[in-house]
Amino acid sequence: MYRIRFHGRGGQGMKTASRILGTAFFLQGYEIQDAPRYGAERRGAPIFAYVRANDQPIFERGIITRPDLVVVADDSLVPVPAAGVLTGVDRHTVLLINSDQTAETWQHRLNLDSRIITLPAETTERDELRFIGATCTGAAARLLGVITRASMEQAIEQELADLGDALIEKNLSRALLAYDSMQPHHGCVNPASDTDATAYTAPSWIDLPFDEARIAAPDIRAAANSVQIKTGLWRTLRPVIDYERCNRCWWVCSTFCPDGAIKVDDKTPVIDYDHCKGCMVCVAQCPPHAIEAIPETLAQEQEAAEETTS
Amino acid sequence: MTRTLLTGNGAAAWGARLAATDYIPAFPITPQTEIIESLSTWIDRDEMTARMVTMESEHSMITAAAAAAASGIRVFSATSSQGLLYGMEMLYTVSGWRAPFVLVNVSRGLASPITLEPDHNDIMAARDCGFLQIHCSTCQEVLDSTLMAFRLAEHERIRLPVIVNMDGFYLSFTREPVEVPDPAAAKRFVGDYDAENIRFRASAPVSQAVAVIGGAPYSYFRYETHMAAQNGLDVYDELSIAFADQFDRSYPAIDAYRSEDADIVFVMLGSFATKAKAAVDRLRAAGHSVGLLRPRLIRPFPAGLFRNLLAGKAAAAVIDQNLSTGMGGVLHAELAAALYGAADAPSRLLSFIGGLGGRDISLEEFYQIAKVTRTAVAEQKTPPPRLLYTEQELREMRKLQAVASVERDELNNSKGLSRD
Amino acid sequence: MTSQTVHLYRSMKELPSTHLLGTGTPMCAGCGGLEALNQLYDIIGERSVFINAAGCMTLLSVYPFTPFRGSWLYTAMASAPAGAQGVRDALDILIEKQRIAADEDMQVVVLTGDGSAYGMGLSATSGAIERNLDFLYICYDNEGYGNTGQQFSGATPHGARTSTSRGPRGYPGFKKDLFAIWAAHKPAYVATVAGAEPVDLARKIEKAMSIKGPRLLIALSPCPTGWDYDPKDTVTVGKLAVKTGVWPLKEYIDGKVMHTKPPRERKPVEEYLKLQGRYKHLFEPKRNDKLIAEIQQKVDRYWNQTD
Repeated sequence: MYRIRFHGRGGQGMKTASRILGTAFFLQGYEIQDAPRYGAERRGAPIFAYVRANDQPIFERGIITRPDLVVVADDSLVPVPAAGVLTGVDRHTVLLINSDQTAETWQHRLNLDSRIITLPAETTERDELRFIGATCTGAAARLLGVITRASMEQAIEQELADLGDALIEKNLSRALLAYDSMQPHHGCVNPASDTDATAYTAPSWIDLPFDEARIAAPDIRAAANSVQIKTGLWRTLRPVIDYERCNRCWWVCSTFCPDGAIKVDDKTPVIDYDHCKGCMVCVAQCPPHAIEAIPETLAQEQEAAEETTS
Repeated sequence: MTRTLLTGNGAAAWGARLAATDYIPAFPITPQTEIIESLSTWIDRDEMTARMVTMESEHSMITAAAAAAASGIRVFSATSSQGLLYGMEMLYTVSGWRAPFVLVNVSRGLASPITLEPDHNDIMAARDCGFLQIHCSTCQEVLDSTLMAFRLAEHERIRLPVIVNMDGFYLSFTREPVEVPDPAAAKRFVGDYDAENIRFRASAPVSQAVAVIGGAPYSYFRYETHMAAQNGLDVYDELSIAFADQFDRSYPAIDAYRSEDADIVFVMLGSFATKAKAAVDRLRAAGHSVGLLRPRLIRPFPAGLFRNLLAGKAAAAVIDQNLSTGMGGVLHAELAAALYGAADAPSRLLSFIGGLGGRDISLEEFYQIAKVTRTAVAEQKTPPPRLLYTEQELREMRKLQAVASVERDELNNSKGLSRD
Repeated sequence: MTSQTVHLYRSMKELPSTHLLGTGTPMCAGCGGLEALNQLYDIIGERSVFINAAGCMTLLSVYPFTPFRGSWLYTAMASAPAGAQGVRDALDILIEKQRIAADEDMQVVVLTGDGSAYGMGLSATSGAIERNLDFLYICYDNEGYGNTGQQFSGATPHGARTSTSRGPRGYPGFKKDLFAIWAAHKPAYVATVAGAEPVDLARKIEKAMSIKGPRLLIALSPCPTGWDYDPKDTVTVGKLAVKTGVWPLKEYIDGKVMHTKPPRERKPVEEYLKLQGRYKHLFEPKRNDKLIAEIQQKVDRYWNQTD
């Protein structure tokens, strides 16, 4: 059985990607199961989707804990714990990462035995992000080695039928380009062998100890500890204040920020990049247009450069 | 202590009053209304310092009750059947808040068809929700159980709401002699409400009952609630001893009547179990070895105690005044689960369904149940479940159906009217 | 309830610059509801207990994280006002019986989306107003059942596309007039606000905080995910809602309705509709002049009646 997991952000089309791949497998006669996993609908938040494909009826359910292939549509998710990109990844797993950085860099950074393949990143213009799902699916299909180009085409036309010819064409060209580009890695993904019932690691079951309601009620006594969650990791664009142009009205950006992530320090607005989600409302509303949107990856590179020089 | 005539509803109201309840959210429903009317009158007359608020539905009523308990005060409320079910979402929800309060349920049969008379389907529907359940068979027991319920709910090893159940009409509207404890003594037994750390105070902000995402943490919260409910078995025993010490009335988790040396045993809940006691006495007088087990605690379910009390018995006949559609009697099924695999469990466990919608169960029916059970033991054969329903009742039913199905034309023709 | 000094904000410079609500919540980037909530919470403050009904904002607090410095209780979709009743009464009883100090008291605030406010929760709200409950009610109105994927609700405006109204003419129904329904109960205060108009919002919440009794606010909450527009336009969309007259900013107090920021020259509704993907079918593939005119007429009729 093939077990594939897609990781992306809400709005990047991971659900559709998993369906395209699921349909492609299905068209080729496989039994399949595909599903997305997210909480409530949230643009920008990490989601994952998975696909199972087998030549026999599938007797598995739920999340994939031992993936053969992990596809990461947005490399900024790799360091996000909640995204679970590396869950169950072992030396057998192939990782396909949509990233500007090289496979070698990722190999070094993640220190894994797994094979890592990168797709060059799309530009971070918002428009282009819409095709990430198709691109990743096309590449994934080639890595699996058992999905034909024709099945890919048919799957895309079927799953995206509602979008109209122009968009179908755009998605298709991206997917097939990616499919073709993965030729050197054709078929590098292999289905894992089934786990052994004769020799397995026993689950560490315990008898849950009784806790009084003081502890065991779903209550939180800490105040505003949500700040521990770095929603800044959702960002693909970063708003940067040009303090020369900022006329210290100090109220507009700070008041309009939906997340309250712009504080005012001594009559100067300061953006909290740990939490700014990159909605760009401040950019749109700043009266003297003193806030600029730059791609987050670029901003991080600049930051890293500044750190090394300082 | 004064012995006075009280209805079951009156006894429940006294229980709430003697426990020094702070707050009573209310919504009227037959057959509970006398409870809230009594409390309302006492409050209006300044005989009771509590606040009552009439909500616009039972769903809201239970929300308000639990929210007030979660803020740190002692709360009482009451409902029945349709109202209990209207609030069912909140019964599950608020037990997870771990804020204790007492809810009296006056048992009534559920629609459809809509009725006003008692049975136990309403309270059985609530058995999984997280509330503990105490079942009463006399008006005295209603008052006493209400007092015990506050202490049970508020115990630090429990902290869950408790339902005290009484049968509509047969207890709610029936007067019996009830010893009303002296307020100081009652207060001494119940004590003061200790909110522990579940409360709302400006100086101690807390986010309560928040969302939990993830199966493992969710499992933790739910199972802890279950274990707290299970603690009810030990805590209840402690409390019933303490109550007996103070008030000289004993309420074990299972009321065992002449069952110790009995061959066969009736198992039954609620006020009709009193009739079963009368039947046991007569059967014994006729030379039969019969007893009765009347569980007062249904949640937590006293499985261990049942196993002990039924060990070595030849048979048990469970008389359910409820019906799980498609399965049968609930008490029967739960008892079977408790007994399965137990050494010395009775080899025959019979199921009888009776008293639905308040239908009477006659002494003769008890005698016949005992006979059928004896036959089952002798023949080593368990008969299928039986609905207590007679030939005459079916004849009557047919007559009613005939009346109901008379077509309009027939009526018109018989009255000499014609259709043009 | 302790009395509050009334500021009656005159300009944005006077608005609080300290944001009390914690960051790090999982609301969508650009959430108009969160924007309004931030502005409201800055003024309401941490001496508050928020009682919540099911909706997007339920996920503000997911164990073990909460953005609140004050208190919070999640109830259920239909009964947040009943939860508020229980908490308010309990605090009153505790103070009356001197079991807690008077300064332990808090403002009780219901927070629900339009799904609960316009529909399932209406009965509980009606009951609470009828009982003259002393509480604040904040409805963040994103004109649909947002948390479940933007199906239409009682608050969905005529012609809008939602996930359950995808036909060529969008939602066939009309937005319920919740303001009028609440005002008909004659509560202490009702107001409409928008995060895009922060001074108007600040004045209204300050006024509400200075009164006792049932005080209810509807905050227009432009929703990038549900209304299908780029998150950066949340304030633009909100301002246009006001400038086109689609979202009247008004308040009800002492039996009278007053418009606090009537648009002097109303912009054509088209300017507001064009920005949102949920109205795209009014313009593409072919302009639906009839439906656009219908929407414009409705707005015109409203303002003509108020003049």
